[in-house]
Amino acid sequence: MTKEKIPAQASDPGETAGPLLEVAGLCRTFGDHKAVDDVAFTLAAGGSLGIVGESGSGKTTTARMLVGLETPDAGSIRVAGHERARQPRNRAERLRRAREIQMVFQDPYLSLDPRITVRDSIGEVLRLHAPELGKTGRAERLAELLDQVGLGAREAGAVPRRLSGGQRQRVAIARALAASPKVLILDEAVAALDVSIQAQILDLLVRIRREEGIAYLFVSHDLAVVKHITDDVVVLRNGRIVEAGRTAEVLANPQHPYTRLLIDSVPSEDWDPDRIAESRRALAALEA
Amino acid sequence: MLVLLVLAAVFAPLIAPYDPNEINLKNSLAGSSPDHWLGTDQSGRDLFSRLLYGARTGLLGPLAVVGVSTILGIAMGVVAAWRGGWVDSLLSRSMDLLFAFPAMLLAILCVAVFGAGMTAPVIAMMIAYTPYVGRLVRSIARQEQARPYIESYKVQGWSGWAICTRHLIPNITPTVLAQSAINFGYALAELAGLSFLGFGVQAPTADWGVMVNEGQSPLLKDVLMPALAPATAIMLAVVAFGIVGEGIADRIAKREK
Amino acid sequence: MAETTTSTDMSKGKNKSTAASSPAAGPGGSAEPLLDIQGLTLRLPASAAARPILDGIGLHVGRGETVGLVGESGSGKSVACRSVLGLLPRTAETEGAVRVNGTDVLGLDKQGLRDMRRNKVAMVFQDPRASVNPMRRVGAFLTEGLRVRGLSKADALARAEQLLEEVGIRDPKGALRKFPHQFSGGMLQRVVIAAALTGDPELLLADEPTTALDVTTQAEVVGILQRLQARHGTGMLFVTHDLELAAAICDRIYVMYAGRIVESQPAADLFARPRHPYTAGLLASTPRLDPDAEPPKPIPGRPVSLAEAPTGCAFADRCAFAEDRCRAEAPPLVTQGAVSVACLRADEGILP
Repeated sequence: MTKEKIPAQASDPGETAGPLLEVAGLCRTFGDHKAVDDVAFTLAAGGSLGIVGESGSGKTTTARMLVGLETPDAGSIRVAGHERARQPRNRAERLRRAREIQMVFQDPYLSLDPRITVRDSIGEVLRLHAPELGKTGRAERLAELLDQVGLGAREAGAVPRRLSGGQRQRVAIARALAASPKVLILDEAVAALDVSIQAQILDLLVRIRREEGIAYLFVSHDLAVVKHITDDVVVLRNGRIVEAGRTAEVLANPQHPYTRLLIDSVPSEDWDPDRIAESRRALAALEA
Repeated sequence: MLVLLVLAAVFAPLIAPYDPNEINLKNSLAGSSPDHWLGTDQSGRDLFSRLLYGARTGLLGPLAVVGVSTILGIAMGVVAAWRGGWVDSLLSRSMDLLFAFPAMLLAILCVAVFGAGMTAPVIAMMIAYTPYVGRLVRSIARQEQARPYIESYKVQGWSGWAICTRHLIPNITPTVLAQSAINFGYALAELAGLSFLGFGVQAPTADWGVMVNEGQSPLLKDVLMPALAPATAIMLAVVAFGIVGEGIADRIAKREK
Repeated sequence: MAETTTSTDMSKGKNKSTAASSPAAGPGGSAEPLLDIQGLTLRLPASAAARPILDGIGLHVGRGETVGLVGESGSGKSVACRSVLGLLPRTAETEGAVRVNGTDVLGLDKQGLRDMRRNKVAMVFQDPRASVNPMRRVGAFLTEGLRVRGLSKADALARAEQLLEEVGIRDPKGALRKFPHQFSGGMLQRVVIAAALTGDPELLLADEPTTALDVTTQAEVVGILQRLQARHGTGMLFVTHDLELAAAICDRIYVMYAGRIVESQPAADLFARPRHPYTAGLLASTPRLDPDAEPPKPIPGRPVSLAEAPTGCAFADRCAFAEDRCRAEAPPLVTQGAVSVACLRADEGILP
């Protein structure tokens, strides 16, 4: 199952034309439960890859391993040909990791320090990652970032409590961008928002990708959102990839019965709960 | 009320009508009068003045106990929660060990080692109170560090030290302070208890615990004030700190909503 | 809060178990709707909210009918739903009427409310984990309601088993001995639905019952609700933020915004021809799976918070069609046939 276990530093500068993010043989077990089982995918620079799955599919664990919040049991994660160290040994390594991949979390109400104003929470990231800018340079960059996510001076001085869910998620995006990462992981980043606000954030994300050329790893349970925001998609089920391909093709012509079930489950005019229940049982029988 | 208490302690020399240790045997056990608001004790010392001065020793001890135990407790609790693994086990077990030791016993032991006086019981109680704070801090720090905002700081590349000192500790401090305020009341009562038993502040220094002790014999003569006044002061102080602690806790609960 | 209806209140009434037969069920002709809310206004103290949480809403649910109540956060949809059970904030001031079978819920005393919750109206909440006591076995959770109704222990167990079977739990006998944490979210929501059915309710209130569940599970739970409803002729008020889901299962839909009902139509018509700009905007901002669907189009701005009290139409600030008069006067809800809409410009053909 585990294909390879590449030692920590296997950097190969000749490989720059390859994919930006390369994940292979990723595994993670909790107790006797295989949360992530031999997951592999690549993400091109400026690309957008969706990781789709339901609860327990391993999609969030995968995302957490990529940013280092969880340690993989096996597998490799390479950014621009560089193997990502399991545990950063020093400050420089830590900062480099942070500039490779940033993440926006699902819950906008819990992902910001409640005591710290928007200005300060973005400002401190700039201080950490762009000390060379100096005070005025940082102020300019801060204004730029706020403007990019559509926040004004009034929101900049506010603590998270005073902001709506959509505004907080804008802050979280601006804060992630402040580190100028190559890859941005969006872990169910629009799932907790109202539909009308969700569409605003999706628009914002599409625009930012176009402007910055940043690559997205969009983790979501929502196929319709994934369809709109990604180029490629992998479908996860019980920790394993069951289908992967161009998003439009996978959605139009799903090959795996599970992908088909997921698509049929989305409410629509000809939605038939009984038929869905039946194909779900059929799938379970098939797997057993 | 707390403000009054602290003011009384700080300005005792200015407010107190008499020297707290001025003995006037002719005026022993006098009742309440315009000269002596709360009357006098067996040695004819003005009770009101002694009460005011007693607030000084009475508050200073717990302040030291709570201050040191809070700082030590936060340090131990946060380190245990953040590092996890064997560090957590080691710190948690050592806190458990201290827990199993009754505070009073520890204090008496300390007195036996260091001799009577204020220092020994205060040090003993610092040691005794630290695991209380440490345990509380450990459990709330564990909850707090599982929150995405702490995780997002990790993803941003901050060091554990920076995250803990700048974000984790400031966010759990209000909860800890609420507990510390309540601890203050307990420490005050326990220190007074030790003084009462003769292990703490020594007579004739004005101290509430000492005063209650000295008030025992007048009690037999049906003179209540010398014992009642300091006892009431202790009780009110404990209750007051309790209320402040609850108040802080309520405010936190409100904010979290 | 969430567990009050099904478990707590029932256990409280244990000693009065047999007096549970409907006390004030008016004779009510069949033309009368099962649930009839009229002019319901709910205000919090001015310090807590600048505008009413509910502002004169009216809706009705007939027997066997599924009615959707759709809105975003802060629209008041959940509060409206809870008002039917008399679950209102303590400091709230209410006007209007909430009638279940002709009985005004707002006028009921504690005993009356308890009887109504026990025998007529049941509720299924969003988070099944919050609706059950994690320390008690599922069997105890299900039978307590039945025992209150005077069933013997054996009868109650048999009935609980039957209910679990009805909601599609495979080994009902085994399930009765399990604890809530041994169930997945979807399975636990079935248990909660089974518990809601213990009183053979005439009206089922479903407050985002599938929001916390996976999509594939959502379909199954909705299927169960629909089947049970068809079998027992229960009326259902289905509260959701998901317009597509509502359209897929409801007969009629009410759309709420900032504490008011802005539009109501039969589900298919609402979807095909929304009359209120907000409904249209909501539909346009929902991402679609269908291959040639337009990308979602956001509604600018954000929903009105409780701290704001706009004078005219609450949606005016976000509305592409708003005129000066929209900001000056609040549009009344105008009914024409099966369509009700609260927009001053609804008849001007602003929407295709």
